[in-house]
Amino acid sequence: MLIAFGAIFALVMMLLALAFRPAGTGPTWAAGEKLWIIGLGLVFPALILLCLLAYGLWIGERLVPRSGAEVMRIEAEARKWSWRFSYDHDARRSTENVLHIPAGRPVDIAITTADVIHSFWVPRLAGKLDAIPGHVNVLRIEADAPGTYAGVSAEFSGRGYDNHRFSVIAHEAEDWQRFLEGEQ
Amino acid sequence: MNALARHRRLTAIWSSEPGWKGWLSTVNHSDVGRMFIVTAAFYFLVGGLLAMLIRAQLATPHSAFAGPEIYSQIFTMHGTIMMFLFAIPMIEGLAIYLLPKMLGARDLAYPRLTAYGYWCYFFGGAMLLISLVFGIAPDGGWFMYPPLTGRIHSPGINTDFWLIGITFVEISAICAAVEFTVSILKYRAPGMTLGKMPVFAWYMLVVSLMILTGFPPLILGSILLELERAFGMPFFQVELGGDSLLWQHLFWLFGHPEVYIIFLPAAGMVSTILPVMASTTLLGYRWVVAAAVALAILSFGLWVHHMFTTGIPHMGLAFFSAASTLVAVPTAIQVFAWIGTMWKGTPRLRLPMLHILGFFVTFVIGGLTGVMVAVVPFDWQVHDTAFATAHLHYVLFGGFVFPVLAGIYYWLPLVTGNRRFFRLGEVAFALIFTGFHVTFLAMHWVGLMGQRRRISTYAPEDGWTVINLISSIGGFVLAFGLAVVLIEVVLNLVVRHPAPRNPWNSGTLEWAIPRPSAAYNFASLPRVSSREPLWDEPGLPARLARGEGYLGEAASGRRETLMVDSATGEPEQLVIYPANTRLPIALAAVTGLFFVSLLVKVYLITPIAIAAVAALGWRWAWQLGSKQDLGDRLIGHGVAVPTIAEVSRPPGWWGSMFLLVANATLFGSLLFGYAFLWTIAPGWPPPAFIAPSLPTLLAAAGGAVLAVAGLAIAGRSNQNGGTPVPGLWMAVAGALGLVAVFSMMLWAAPPATGHAYNATILVLGAYGLVHAALTSLMLIFLLARHRAGYMSQRRRGELAIVTVWSVYLFGVTGLVVPAVYLPGLVT
Amino acid sequence: MKDLLRIVVSPVVWLASFSAVYALHGLVCQLDPGAPGLPGVSGSRITLIVAFVLAVLVQTGLLVLLSSSRFGADPGFTRSVSLMSGWVGLVATVWTLFPTLVTSPCGW
Repeated sequence: MLIAFGAIFALVMMLLALAFRPAGTGPTWAAGEKLWIIGLGLVFPALILLCLLAYGLWIGERLVPRSGAEVMRIEAEARKWSWRFSYDHDARRSTENVLHIPAGRPVDIAITTADVIHSFWVPRLAGKLDAIPGHVNVLRIEADAPGTYAGVSAEFSGRGYDNHRFSVIAHEAEDWQRFLEGEQ
Repeated sequence: MNALARHRRLTAIWSSEPGWKGWLSTVNHSDVGRMFIVTAAFYFLVGGLLAMLIRAQLATPHSAFAGPEIYSQIFTMHGTIMMFLFAIPMIEGLAIYLLPKMLGARDLAYPRLTAYGYWCYFFGGAMLLISLVFGIAPDGGWFMYPPLTGRIHSPGINTDFWLIGITFVEISAICAAVEFTVSILKYRAPGMTLGKMPVFAWYMLVVSLMILTGFPPLILGSILLELERAFGMPFFQVELGGDSLLWQHLFWLFGHPEVYIIFLPAAGMVSTILPVMASTTLLGYRWVVAAAVALAILSFGLWVHHMFTTGIPHMGLAFFSAASTLVAVPTAIQVFAWIGTMWKGTPRLRLPMLHILGFFVTFVIGGLTGVMVAVVPFDWQVHDTAFATAHLHYVLFGGFVFPVLAGIYYWLPLVTGNRRFFRLGEVAFALIFTGFHVTFLAMHWVGLMGQRRRISTYAPEDGWTVINLISSIGGFVLAFGLAVVLIEVVLNLVVRHPAPRNPWNSGTLEWAIPRPSAAYNFASLPRVSSREPLWDEPGLPARLARGEGYLGEAASGRRETLMVDSATGEPEQLVIYPANTRLPIALAAVTGLFFVSLLVKVYLITPIAIAAVAALGWRWAWQLGSKQDLGDRLIGHGVAVPTIAEVSRPPGWWGSMFLLVANATLFGSLLFGYAFLWTIAPGWPPPAFIAPSLPTLLAAAGGAVLAVAGLAIAGRSNQNGGTPVPGLWMAVAGALGLVAVFSMMLWAAPPATGHAYNATILVLGAYGLVHAALTSLMLIFLLARHRAGYMSQRRRGELAIVTVWSVYLFGVTGLVVPAVYLPGLVT
Repeated sequence: MKDLLRIVVSPVVWLASFSAVYALHGLVCQLDPGAPGLPGVSGSRITLIVAFVLAVLVQTGLLVLLSSSRFGADPGFTRSVSLMSGWVGLVATVWTLFPTLVTSPCGW
């Protein structure tokens, strides 16, 4: 995307620069509505944008969470200025500011909030999704490798916004089993 | 009468009072336009100062420059001031100053309204400025998302300053939009058809219609949020049937068109200035006009793309992603039409052209990053990071500030009569251009690295230190460049160094007025036959000064101009304007009193303020008109037209129509909010619906019919030479009946604090009540006017105006009553 | 005024139908996302596609009207601009509502 846009930008700048060529040296067809408006203004961007749109929709469609037996569901509730994660296998099990997930498996995070709007964002795992009062938004994430990932809230929420952070720990299979059994 | 005698006579008629007192009473568009521009420039300085504070704060990690509380106020006010107190008023000021001159008219449609708009802006802006000085400024981010801005999480007065102050300022935008629409459609030089209008007028027509339909959703949102904060009506509280997402929809229904409301006037300036700089005409005028119209309307279908992360289903996202990419096409048409224009002509690198080149570079980058964020998966990553902030600065600074700087340098000789003496502008451009790109390219980068917007500080481990420092240094270079521009403009005002009359060899009419510009613009009005009248006839200014156009006689001793047919541009009516008056500032002051009473919650004053507004409004309307039939008046070249008092569609009729467009949008937004809460908010249905009584329904139907039928009878009877009085009384009875119906509705409504449904019913009823009361007042005004002799078979215009309002009342009743009672009937 | 209406009507109708389809999409998914339809196509998608086709037909009709001598503008500037905006309405309708055909209706 960046390369294509760089090329478009370079083209526009080149056309701009060439407009300052000495008078009367350009071909006569270069001053018509057909070339500039229909060709460059209408057809050229329309083609590029259609491709881009199709690409975006296709990627987006792949990101649509599909239900499956493998998918684990974790509830995330934001408040000023912390996160509480509850695990659906055990209603009493919850953690503060640390989200535990199994590595290599899709996980659905059901996001909501106890007070104002926040946003759940783990840059290395997925895009952001807002926590909105009264609504539950579901985000599918998957960590390919075990490890710790940084997460932040990405919606301004007042005084404590700077440090409204959490972390995600992705466990290997055995580790994860131990977590489920309550050893962590 | 020779040209000098005519100049003296017209100046005596048109000039404002001497000295600073003249500012308080002037209604002349050139004066008010300049006042707008200077005030907006002042707010640009304030907003820029806040930007410098932001960059100072972020220049180093763990900065102790300002704590989060103060920092929140700084960034909120930076955005708010730049959007609402700089960009929009700057557009208004430039258009107020330029439009009549470009269109070949002597003033805008409603001179007193121009001044009223200015004073609303002045007082409303002052409110926000005071909050900033005292450290109680709004601090919820410039888009004010509840529940953060609700009273639980923001108990202070800060948010109220925003909601009330901005609504007050927006009155001026609505006034200006009504005024521009009517002026562009009706107040033009004879012969100027739609296809011969200067392209800037087309852009401003489009922008004005956008303001009329784009601002009302935000005004409604502000009213609802303020009602929630002040009286506990839970529109945005999810526990009580509200939904905070409603605010986001209302805000972005305004907020996205707002971007184009700011960009399109600037594009209009580019379309005006660029062909002159290339000594040619605009390539593809028709295409550019069509692209501007398309862009304007398409931009209303994009609002959800600011909400891509709020959990909207994928197909919904796809709709708005598609619309967001599509909107780039008309933008591309304009960009390539401009480049093609340069190829067609021979561009010269004068100072305005430099800024236009700056615009091209910056805006194209901003447009490309805009297309990137239209792609949903990408947006999910960069939303609410510094990348988004950098993108919007590229669009707004590139798409607005650079063209405005080009415009300032282009039109400066017209305003001051001087040309530049010291060549500071080129240096300033270099500083601005470099400073801007250093600042915001760095910001794109740090955004991609994950820096969120609106954080007050960061840690050295984040690895953003160097980039932020570079960005801050760039920011200060930019500020320095803008300061140089300011110095040069002030020098240009002070140092006398006369410019030739048409220094750029432009073709449009604003360069045909006397220099320095005279209060009356044109000694006589031209007839035009192309888009570049000055190229057709270079001697036109002298000919107009000799009084050889229309209205060259200044016979009546009053301020006069012509209204034309909107399509053909043929003269239709003779306009007689009101002269200098302090009524606008007085009305703005009592309007301000109303808003201040809400702000400080002294509700005892509120009814007094409303009564004062009504009394001054009465006086406002009373000043117009005449007690005798004047008949058709000669306007020159053997043409005779009636005066505005003696036509069926006077200026007030046109203004009412477009004001009602805005009003209907507000009402439509309210109905949208009702439907939205009903279907989306979790807490619905409410515990109980209110049930209607048959007498209420009958009274509502009867009242609405009577109000319209009475006026129709009055109009018919007046037309046939009879008396309109019985019909008017009938209409009064109908309208007062509706006042009773809506009062009953409010009386019987369940407590508004209980559920968003109850609160919505209350607002619907209040909306109906306001309109019923307003129409009653107008009808009583008509009776008083008739009694005082202002009405006759010929002088029928005021009947037509009130008819429009009573038909609107009929429509409102027909929608409010079912919206309130139907759910109770069905369930 | 009529000329102005001719210039804006098609894009305004696009805006109305675009918002209406978006609202319909919200309603359909709220009420019954899995409503029975034809084999392989869910009921909610059929509803949305019908709305899409209707919107395209309306735009086509408008374009025909704008180019007719009875309802169109007099030849000249207004006529060509109104025809251009007629095309804008039609293209915008197809462009912005074609996701009804390809994306999954009620998933996230």
